[in-house]
Amino acid sequence: MSTPPIAEQPTRGERFDPVALAVITSRIQGIVRRMSNTLFRTARSSVLNTARDFSCCVVTRDHELLAAAESLPIHVMSGPDLVSASLARLHPKLRAGDAYLHNSPYHGNSHAGDHCILVPIVGADGEHHFTAVVKAHMADIGNSQPTTLWASARDVYHEGAVIFPGVKVQQDYEDIPDIIEMCRTRIRVPEVWYADYIGMVGAARIGERELHGLGEELGWETLHEYTAAWFDYSEEMMAGAIRRMPAGRSVAHNKHDPLPAAGAEDGVPVKVIVTVDPGGARVAVDLRENPDCLPCGINLTEATSRTAAMIGVFNSLPIAVPQNAGSFRRLDIEIRENCVAGIPVHPASCSTATTGIADRVANATQRAIAELADGFGMAETGTLTASVADISGKDPRHGDAPFVNLMILGLTCGAGHSRGDGWLVSGEVGDGGLMMRDSTEVDELLYPIIVWADRIVADSGGPGRFRGAPACYVEYGPAGAEIEAMWSTDGYVHAALGARGGYPGAPARQFLRRADGNVEPLPGWGEQTLAPGETVLATSAAGAGYGPPWERELQRVVRDVADGWVSPEQAEQVYGVVVRDGELDAKASERRRAELAGTSVPVPELLDVEQRSREIADRLAPYVLAAEPAR
Amino acid sequence: MPERELDPTLMAVLAHRFEAIVREMTNTLFRTGRSSIINMARDFSCSIITAEDELFAAAEGLQVHVLGAGLQTRSMRELHPDLREGDAYLHNDPMLGNTHTADHTILVPVFVAGEHLFTASAKAHQADCGNAEPSTYVAYVEDVYAEGGLVFPCVKVQQDYEDIDDIIRMCRRRIRVPEVWYGDFLAAVGSARIGERRVKQVVERYGVETIKAFVKEWLDYSERVMDQAIRKLSAKRLHARGKHDPIPGLPEGVEVNVTIDVKSDEGKVVFDLRENPDCIPFGLNVSEYCARGGCTIALLNCLEEDVPRNAGSFRRIEVLLREGSIAGGLVEPYSASISTTNVLNRIINSAQSAFCQLGEGEGLAEGAGAMGVGYAVFSGTYPSESGGAGEPYVSEFVIGNNGGPASPHCDGWITYAMPDCSKTIYIDSVEMLERTYPLQFRSLRLLADSGGAGRLRGGPASEVIYGPRATPMRVFYMADYAIHPAAGVRGGLPGTAASANVIAADGAERQVEPIGDSLLAPGEWIRGIEAGGGGYGDPLQREPEAVLGDVLERWVTLEAAGAVYGVVLEPSGDASGFTLDLLATEQRRAELREARAAGGGA
Amino acid sequence: MSASNARITCDIGGTFTDVVVSDERGRMTIAKALTQPANLFDGLRAALERAAAELAEPLGGLLGRTSLFIFSTTQATNAILEGTTARTAFLCTEGFPDILVRREGGSLRPYDYSRPFPEPYVPRRLTFEIAERIDADGNVARALDEAGAVAQLARARELGAEAVSVCLLWATANPAHELALGALIERELPGLPYSLSHQINPIVREYRRASGTAIDASLKPLMQRHLPEIAAGLIDEGFTGELLAASSAGGVVPMGELIDSPLWSVRSGPSLAPVAARTVATVETGSGDVIVCDTGGTSFDVSLVREGDLVFTSETWLGEPFAGHLTGLSSVDVRSIGAGGGSIAWVDPGGLLRVGPESARADPGPACYGLGGTRPTVTDAALVLGYIDPDRFLGGKMALDVGAAETALAGLAEALGIGSREAAHAVLAIANERMIAAIHELTVNEGVDPRDSTLVAGGGAAGLTIAAIARELGCREVLIPRAAGVLSAFGGQHSDIVREMTAPHVTNSKGFDFAGVRETLAGLRERMHAFEAELPQGLGGEVRRRYFVEARYAYQVWDLSIPLEGDGVEDEAALQRLIESFHDAHERIFAVREPGQKIELSQWKGRVSVETVKPPLAAERGELADGAGGTHGRVAFFPELGEVEIAVHLGGELAAGRSIAGPALLIEPETTIVVYPGWSAHVSELGNYRLELEDA
Repeated sequence: MSTPPIAEQPTRGERFDPVALAVITSRIQGIVRRMSNTLFRTARSSVLNTARDFSCCVVTRDHELLAAAESLPIHVMSGPDLVSASLARLHPKLRAGDAYLHNSPYHGNSHAGDHCILVPIVGADGEHHFTAVVKAHMADIGNSQPTTLWASARDVYHEGAVIFPGVKVQQDYEDIPDIIEMCRTRIRVPEVWYADYIGMVGAARIGERELHGLGEELGWETLHEYTAAWFDYSEEMMAGAIRRMPAGRSVAHNKHDPLPAAGAEDGVPVKVIVTVDPGGARVAVDLRENPDCLPCGINLTEATSRTAAMIGVFNSLPIAVPQNAGSFRRLDIEIRENCVAGIPVHPASCSTATTGIADRVANATQRAIAELADGFGMAETGTLTASVADISGKDPRHGDAPFVNLMILGLTCGAGHSRGDGWLVSGEVGDGGLMMRDSTEVDELLYPIIVWADRIVADSGGPGRFRGAPACYVEYGPAGAEIEAMWSTDGYVHAALGARGGYPGAPARQFLRRADGNVEPLPGWGEQTLAPGETVLATSAAGAGYGPPWERELQRVVRDVADGWVSPEQAEQVYGVVVRDGELDAKASERRRAELAGTSVPVPELLDVEQRSREIADRLAPYVLAAEPAR
Repeated sequence: MPERELDPTLMAVLAHRFEAIVREMTNTLFRTGRSSIINMARDFSCSIITAEDELFAAAEGLQVHVLGAGLQTRSMRELHPDLREGDAYLHNDPMLGNTHTADHTILVPVFVAGEHLFTASAKAHQADCGNAEPSTYVAYVEDVYAEGGLVFPCVKVQQDYEDIDDIIRMCRRRIRVPEVWYGDFLAAVGSARIGERRVKQVVERYGVETIKAFVKEWLDYSERVMDQAIRKLSAKRLHARGKHDPIPGLPEGVEVNVTIDVKSDEGKVVFDLRENPDCIPFGLNVSEYCARGGCTIALLNCLEEDVPRNAGSFRRIEVLLREGSIAGGLVEPYSASISTTNVLNRIINSAQSAFCQLGEGEGLAEGAGAMGVGYAVFSGTYPSESGGAGEPYVSEFVIGNNGGPASPHCDGWITYAMPDCSKTIYIDSVEMLERTYPLQFRSLRLLADSGGAGRLRGGPASEVIYGPRATPMRVFYMADYAIHPAAGVRGGLPGTAASANVIAADGAERQVEPIGDSLLAPGEWIRGIEAGGGGYGDPLQREPEAVLGDVLERWVTLEAAGAVYGVVLEPSGDASGFTLDLLATEQRRAELREARAAGGGA
Repeated sequence: MSASNARITCDIGGTFTDVVVSDERGRMTIAKALTQPANLFDGLRAALERAAAELAEPLGGLLGRTSLFIFSTTQATNAILEGTTARTAFLCTEGFPDILVRREGGSLRPYDYSRPFPEPYVPRRLTFEIAERIDADGNVARALDEAGAVAQLARARELGAEAVSVCLLWATANPAHELALGALIERELPGLPYSLSHQINPIVREYRRASGTAIDASLKPLMQRHLPEIAAGLIDEGFTGELLAASSAGGVVPMGELIDSPLWSVRSGPSLAPVAARTVATVETGSGDVIVCDTGGTSFDVSLVREGDLVFTSETWLGEPFAGHLTGLSSVDVRSIGAGGGSIAWVDPGGLLRVGPESARADPGPACYGLGGTRPTVTDAALVLGYIDPDRFLGGKMALDVGAAETALAGLAEALGIGSREAAHAVLAIANERMIAAIHELTVNEGVDPRDSTLVAGGGAAGLTIAAIARELGCREVLIPRAAGVLSAFGGQHSDIVREMTAPHVTNSKGFDFAGVRETLAGLRERMHAFEAELPQGLGGEVRRRYFVEARYAYQVWDLSIPLEGDGVEDEAALQRLIESFHDAHERIFAVREPGQKIELSQWKGRVSVETVKPPLAAERGELADGAGGTHGRVAFFPELGEVEIAVHLGGELAAGRSIAGPALLIEPETTIVVYPGWSAHVSELGNYRLELEDA
């Protein structure tokens, strides 16, 4: 393919041989996919080998995101570019055979819980051409508490993570034992960490090998011309998409749940200003009017601030656009230093920078766009509960070997949007539906836990023309040995908000079921030592609805009722759809909908999720409690 | 005795050379250190270790710091078989032979003609080591993760005499006062590099073979001196028990057991620490380094001669440890955050006082070892121009005074500090502290009657009162000896106990847990009393003149002189203040003895 | 003998009183007499009379033509070491009574529990707490309770205080309360001498300031008696010239200054030794780096001249470090170790040969003195080795008993299992080692390389082993001045009037306060002018004013004294040069530098030196016909040669320019010089000896 004509191609995209453009693109997509598979198959912790909380991508020599495998958007949209840039700054001379460990929130990483492996791709010419970046959420990073997401951390010291600001971990393709030893000493599960580390290095080395091959085959200059052309193409696509959006400036507010420890008794207000300019084919998101950094772990990093806003925009685009530095050129994300949704100032902790405020920002962004015109944007996505928790302890089945891992169950948070219902199996907005839920069986195999229930909660999805995904109820507890569970739940007080008349999703709720059967509420942020016989009951925060519920297609409502996702009561009260013995009463519905549409009728009361959760819990009680002693 | 005997003159000459080198290393670190812990309190130590991991020369640094230096160089050689000239290593891992994570040790291998002959070591207590809480000693942590500090398992930090920036950056991100840390790092490197330079000069001057012969000879010589010293003790098997105060979560406290086998005829002493509890989920576990050092200190305290302190003399000391034990058997992931003081001081004290079982004139009383308010780690932020919070500060006070143990020969040393540092640590200057940090002292005084009474009196305890000036200050203290004070021996009485009180702005005082932390607002003060040293022998046998002197010098009150020492003093009009009534004293003492006998009978 | 203008210097030591008389041609007359502690002037008169006798004129005549008399004494130092100073009260801020008890902590003997804790300089019973408090910014945190203070002073009187020292926290930042107490003392205890810390030594660090202040006050009664006595005595004898006294600042000051703050007289004698050494080295070798060794009977003093400047320290301990007392002054750095001819040699339980710290002192003295001493000393070893001519010791004033020395050494040799000659040599080698260590510490700390320095030796035992020491240090050149026996007194002959003033002004390299510094230095300049103005007329030679600043990296607490170029820091460029010189000094002394780090500058110093009229360094040896020399030989032992017959030369018989190859002995009235094998000695034009190591 590296025929002289191609080599001589000028760099303007439209003149770069379109066939070559397509071919190289698919080759590079193939490379990042192979990187992902490598990690997915070799990783040790379930947060990687099951939940897939990682991402792989390739960054150019100018630190621009070129291609990412289907990865968590919150990981990749911005971040790889920043860590690559900081690496070049800290290590001016990058050599073949180097690998760098990077997790510093102050040097462009998402949060300390994500370890990045960066491998500079150096040609036979000794020049640095690309960087392979693998980022993965570790089971443990040596925090002072056994969690990788710790909203209550006062500062980076209290958080306790070992911070690696682009530290060389391999030279000449060999580990630097000092660094490995440091991790082994300060990470609770050194074996798991090292296995995951090997997986990451493997993935990055695969990317290195294949991209190196491609470069040597096509000629590096050709590849750089290609990237320029590909960026131009992507920018055009982006411009095209924006031109089809409604013009205007829209401001959206929402609130992160209260954090008394950090002095935010009534929550952390988030404000997003979106300006869509179809003429100029640009979208601007301004996050500068948000509060200063707080003395807790929820501050965003530069990477997650930018990305959260970008996600909101991409979720709202009328057509699919490749996500890379080219399309990003059409976005102006405005952030400031020392801001919860901006650039953190050391030693502010960013432990939960990939969730919490990030979700609020992305949600507000997409909702702001929705408010510009019908048919655009999205409602707000729900959030995670104690069903996504860091669990740790000693496993009696393996000689009390210590374990700690991020367990990911009950991901049903999807928001209703302009063209459809909320995606059921979606984590928080930041994962763009790409995060996978754990397999109950795998979790029970890996860790001494038992999952008693993982089921949809009827009526919890935010009603709307397009309904938010319903919450799910998860109940789990230790099997035979004490375990420690830590979680950071947003959406306990402030639920996902609906767009364009859509209703909010049900807020999250969680409880502790004592061995004596008592069921006590648990706080939004918590850590709990669970003795055998005790369980955690967690109902996630559901996605919100888009558009007025009484505009929802009748048949969709009938099906929801039939499937038990919506009760006949809610169907009539909120959707204005009357279903009797499974049969639609068109006339009654007609009337009811007219009422609802008229402003005279007050908005009917929403589901009491607490009540509903307790009902489920009571139904489960007999066999949860009966079974425990048997184990 | 080796065949090739080294010229005794040359041996003495070289011994002086190496002493001078460690003194120079020490001076460098002291003068250039940035944190008050180093440049005022001198909480650091320098030493030279042979390539075979034998401690060879150490200055009068913090004793528990230097005695086990060989453990660390061993891990250096094992982890870095490719040692090269120009390397420097950062080591603070208690699992690999360090004291505790707060002590950053710089190890510099010294090469001559490509051969690794010695290692220069500079170990210093840091102002901050990145712990989760702003303190370099944390008691209430279940493991090393909760402790939160950075652990460097002998990590290469310089290559070809240049910093490895990755490691420096890691510290800068995770240590609260990066500037201070880097300054102290430079000071330690400078000290070790000076040691390296000087050792090379000596070796080049006398030749590698001579130096090797000297090393062997010197260690053998030191062993001979120790052998002689131990043979003077009477052979006996001693048992000692000590108890660390109860703390929340440990209602029983921590009991330590030491068995000492004095094998005079073999010129050997065996310390058995295996009969101790398992590691506990608190920062109080004692690292191997500290446990071995502690036993050595106890023995040296009880020997007549000034024995050279190196691997040679230590050959005559055997310390038996049990893996998993709180006393030197540290296992992952338990924390040894406070390894250098609390439980260790109990071990040293029980061991040194056990030697009293060898008879009158042997052993020592217990020395006070409270790590109280006078030794607290304090932190906060400087007031900024705007009046709000400015730059952070964190450091440790070494301003308090624990009374030294009375010995068979004299009263307790006053500026004793605590058993593990054997008098060598310096004292902060009130003015320098007030100049450097936004805080103020209200008083700092030694307390009368605080030293344990005895034929020879224990050293006095201090009372210190300080507080923040403009911005809140957090203070961490870890005072043991608040419930079980330093015991006296052979009829001597215990010293007074430690305590801590917070004084509110309105003057109201409330007692606080002696091991804990307080956040002081401007206007609030904390008042800390350390502990007094134990007495040696019966107070009724103390020279009446000595008691008179004590009263005149306000070490003992008039009341105590009469009630405890049975010495009767009459006010004298003249400048001297009091005169001794010897007859009345005899009588009083007789009465007290009777009362005692009666009490004993009852 | 022409009645030319004379200059006399004296050094009243513990044992001897040395006198040096020089005339305008530079001719020196040296005389010694025993010190009379009861009345110092008696001893001084005796020495002066000897000098006069040598000059064949009456004492009155000599004093009459003496324009300048420079006086130094070890009285202050001895009084402190012997605890014979005045009963002194100590006034401190309420709440901080134990500053003098605890000192700054530390101990040289961590495991020695047989020594009691050292007594404080002022006992607690004489310590009085004064209700008051100044804070670190100089604000009055608690007003001075005058009534309370008066009561305390009354108590001090009851307890028989003879002097009062006052050291309040932060008096350096605001002296108001100390000054008020000064006034109260004058009112309540009229006539009682007192010292205020902010006047004695305005440094931060309560112990050092308090210690110096207590020492100062405790010396006042003594010095206020002795010094006028001597002045009066001299005048009675016909002296009409100017009377100056040595200070530990390495120069001389009008005697009144010392009476006001006698602290400066502590170790003032030894601090003149480097002045003497600098003078000789400059003319003989032109070397700027000079190591000075002054070996007395019981102590060995090392000091240093770096690039022509004396080296200063604030760490002068009287007695053992930590156990003794700090003067706290920034004074000439003279390291003194107890390693003189009297140091006793012994074998420890491990079979190692040790020398000192125990000393036979003057009584009984070394075995060879025949005063009952039986234990071998360094002097005995030297005698056994044949390095001392028993008939010419101290100019023949004292005959030595070789037999006694032999017996003493024999025991040692037996214990070591070597010959007694070898043992004797070992004793000297080990004694040297402690001196070598002391020299290393001083030079190394100052970044001076002994191998590029000139070694100047003085003191009675100077010549015995200095060449051996030089060899170990790698020095190839040793100077032994003609006045080696009276180095300090000789130094007095060549010292200027030196006075140092300090002014605090805190600034740093990142935000340098040019105006403030200019003002501070101007203030210093005024004070210097005032000092110069008060000097007696006729003394004033060339005036030199130099400025220094105490600087440190941010967070450090120990300063380096950096000289300013010219008399200020006028512009950015000058500041950059100052900063660079700090980095350099830090790297030179401590092996590391931290470019870019903030540098804090706190204390500013001005040192004014007024040159005095000095006698020329002239020799009168020229005309002397070259005596045969080496006439009589004797047997001496050197390890590399064994026992050999060596030549013995009488210094007086050697003409300028004469060279003698080792091994040989040179005998001077005050000292004996051993020219070791491989070395050679040269007699310079000025009559000084230069020892050189021949390239072997």
